[in-house]
Amino acid sequence: MLSRVAESMFWMSRYIERAENTACFLDVNYHLSLDLHQVSGGESLDYWESLIQVTGEQDRFQKLYEGYDSNSVTDFLLFNPTNPSSISSCIALARENARSSVEALSSEIWEGINNLYHFVLQADPAEVRGDPFSFCRAVKIGSQLFQGGADATLLRNEGWDFVQLGKYLERADNIARLVDVKYDLLSPSDGASNEAQDVILWMSVLKSCSALEAFRKVHLSRLDPEGILGFLVLERSFPRSILYSIAAAEKALWHVSGSSHGRFSSNADRLIGKLESELSYVSVDDLVGELRPFLVELEQQLKQIGEQIHQTYFAYQGADVEIAEGGIPLRFLGLVSGRPNWRHAEQQQQQEGPR
Amino acid sequence: MHTASPLFQQYEPDSPRFYDEVFSAKKQARHHYTTLVERFNELDAESLNARRRAIDILLLNQGVTFTVYSATEGIERIFPFDLIPRVVPGSEWQVIEKGLTQRVTALNLFLHDLYHEQRILKDGVMPADLVLGSKHFRREFVGVNPPLGVYIHVTGSDLIRDSSGRYLVLEDNLRCPSGVSYMLQNRQVMKRALPMLFDNYQVRPIEDYPQQLLHVLQDIAPRGVSDPGVVVLTPGIYNSAFYEHSFLARQMGVDLTEGGDLVVNDNRVYKRTTQGLTPVDVIYRRVDDDFLDPLVFRGESKLGVAGLVNAYRAGNVALANAIGTGVADDKVIYSFVPRIIRYYLDQDPVLENVPTYLASDPSERKMILANLDRLVVKAANESGGYGMLVGTDSTAAQRDEFRARIEADPRNYIAQDTVMLSRHPSFSHDQGLFGCHIDLRPYVLYGEHISIVPGGLTRVALKPGSLVVNSSQGGGSKDTWVLYDE
Repeated sequence: MLSRVAESMFWMSRYIERAENTACFLDVNYHLSLDLHQVSGGESLDYWESLIQVTGEQDRFQKLYEGYDSNSVTDFLLFNPTNPSSISSCIALARENARSSVEALSSEIWEGINNLYHFVLQADPAEVRGDPFSFCRAVKIGSQLFQGGADATLLRNEGWDFVQLGKYLERADNIARLVDVKYDLLSPSDGASNEAQDVILWMSVLKSCSALEAFRKVHLSRLDPEGILGFLVLERSFPRSILYSIAAAEKALWHVSGSSHGRFSSNADRLIGKLESELSYVSVDDLVGELRPFLVELEQQLKQIGEQIHQTYFAYQGADVEIAEGGIPLRFLGLVSGRPNWRHAEQQQQQEGPR
Repeated sequence: MHTASPLFQQYEPDSPRFYDEVFSAKKQARHHYTTLVERFNELDAESLNARRRAIDILLLNQGVTFTVYSATEGIERIFPFDLIPRVVPGSEWQVIEKGLTQRVTALNLFLHDLYHEQRILKDGVMPADLVLGSKHFRREFVGVNPPLGVYIHVTGSDLIRDSSGRYLVLEDNLRCPSGVSYMLQNRQVMKRALPMLFDNYQVRPIEDYPQQLLHVLQDIAPRGVSDPGVVVLTPGIYNSAFYEHSFLARQMGVDLTEGGDLVVNDNRVYKRTTQGLTPVDVIYRRVDDDFLDPLVFRGESKLGVAGLVNAYRAGNVALANAIGTGVADDKVIYSFVPRIIRYYLDQDPVLENVPTYLASDPSERKMILANLDRLVVKAANESGGYGMLVGTDSTAAQRDEFRARIEADPRNYIAQDTVMLSRHPSFSHDQGLFGCHIDLRPYVLYGEHISIVPGGLTRVALKPGSLVVNSSQGGGSKDTWVLYDE
């Protein structure tokens, strides 16, 4: 498979996953803010700020808005074109990557993404800000339709593997960030009067990861911070837990490289194998005291795995081509998910119809 | 039960000013259209409209779009589809097929001659300065032998009909003619929207075009390669015809590559894959000559592949179309095509040209400048309806601008008689049926031999009264049915 096409499929999948996760946790937290309003009798600014922390885009946010409130945060996460992680940016980038690999996709997938893109494009930001529920729901359904369509129609070749890889790496990263930011919410507060609020908050953390119902099936009604943490990080049977995602990404990588358990044929294989082993043997008790450094390390490792995948499969370094008479050699610089602008301009120069 | 009047009742053909494709002079439906008219008369405007809207949504979701360039950004649009199909009887198609085969054969011989002995110039049939001075003549390729001696593997010539219904060639597209995906898509859409129309018609199928194109590409593979690696080369996703490039790659089952996906090493072309470098033998390139190789053409081009031209010259990779074919679709050279046909084939042209005047010729220039208000002026190397003046539809300021341009660079301009393009009814939601000017672009494939898919892209000037069918200028298209001989 062409490196560029593999990379496009990888990023298409990542962006769709990111859009779904953002839609999910924004929706949950928007509704939670309504509950909190009743419980604590005021709008908490910290609360909205934490949502931006999850995406790691505080600097960009502060340049654009006066302060953290429901309107600005929702706008930033849903529609802001300068925020590369806003839902509309994610969907547009997913579509751009799909376009660039369209001959390797099925028409079901391509039409699904296109559909979603036009839906987001036509949405009225003012209306959605006031009531994000149905919009977020449509994005989630669009993402699930994509994954389902991929499962039902894609050839099980490298393209499929890179779609899986993108999905699970992005998911592991998103859940790790969310747990990182929200963990503070998971400590019980003093006094029995706050118990109701604690439960609402804890439930919201699970709901943000679409995990509440699954959690209850495993832990019944026993809702406590350690149980929630263990579930989101280490639960092997829950497809949105970090360990599950890492294990699934590892399997996809093996499929591409021909590697298997206990072996590796690239740095990407080695790093993800290491991470999977570590998560397999760590316990919730280990995590509780050391959660912050653990998650920081985890995010770092995920980043490294991403870089190694890029090096191994996307940025294949071909032979340099020498230009005669002392010109500079041209080097293949690899591809990045966002395309530089000169490409855009030059492709336009060539106007060849349909005329 | 139909309460409204039949659809075609209020349609007014404007003959004899224009040739109407559907109705003869007394608003009598032509033989090959009678059933179609009856069928449409059984439908009402409301149901047609609903079908049209459904199609628009379908096309948008399928991403069947092209990009219109404005000053600041490209805007994505669907290519408007008109519901009323065009019908070409088998007898008419035979003439078109014969004429295009003759024309493409002669043009290919012309290109071969031009890049080898240049007999036609030595015999004084064409002025050498006009040919060798053409922007698209590539002197670097004199003496290069493309596989099978074929230069133009894909040709899209634009045909129009004058007020008597005679088919004329308006221009030849020998570089990277586009639109064939719309021809195929239109048939798919038509079958979905109005399947019952096909009942009484023996429409010849066109769906095997991608397969035929693939065969041509395999035909021209370098000698000794048994299972050639074929790719399509696109400028990228921002190119206006990107949809078509991806469509053809998908239909042929080959990789769609951008310049950055290919690399030349030791005069051989490879594609970069997740498993390393894989050889490429044939490239169906949809990138213009100028952007193909930064080492030979535009140095700043990022669309091309460094070293590709040397690999081509070494015979290690085949390109479709060959480099340098643009010299033969230059609008100045176009005016010589009838002579080219007579010179190489010793035959009279089956399909004639539109009468054309060269601004480079002093007496013709004088005539052009005196008649700007009734001629169509075109720049020799522009396409897509850019750089064009329709005299009958122009302002004094526009004419003055073109007068200055022609005087400054006469070699770059030609003028043609304004042909009253034939008209065909189109359907729109607010006007019902109304007459629109149309043309026809069939696609000619040339590998081991010439073949033409029975059909083509019929472009429609949807702006009422407009003679410009280009999509960038508000044109649309319709399905084109070539019938089996009766």
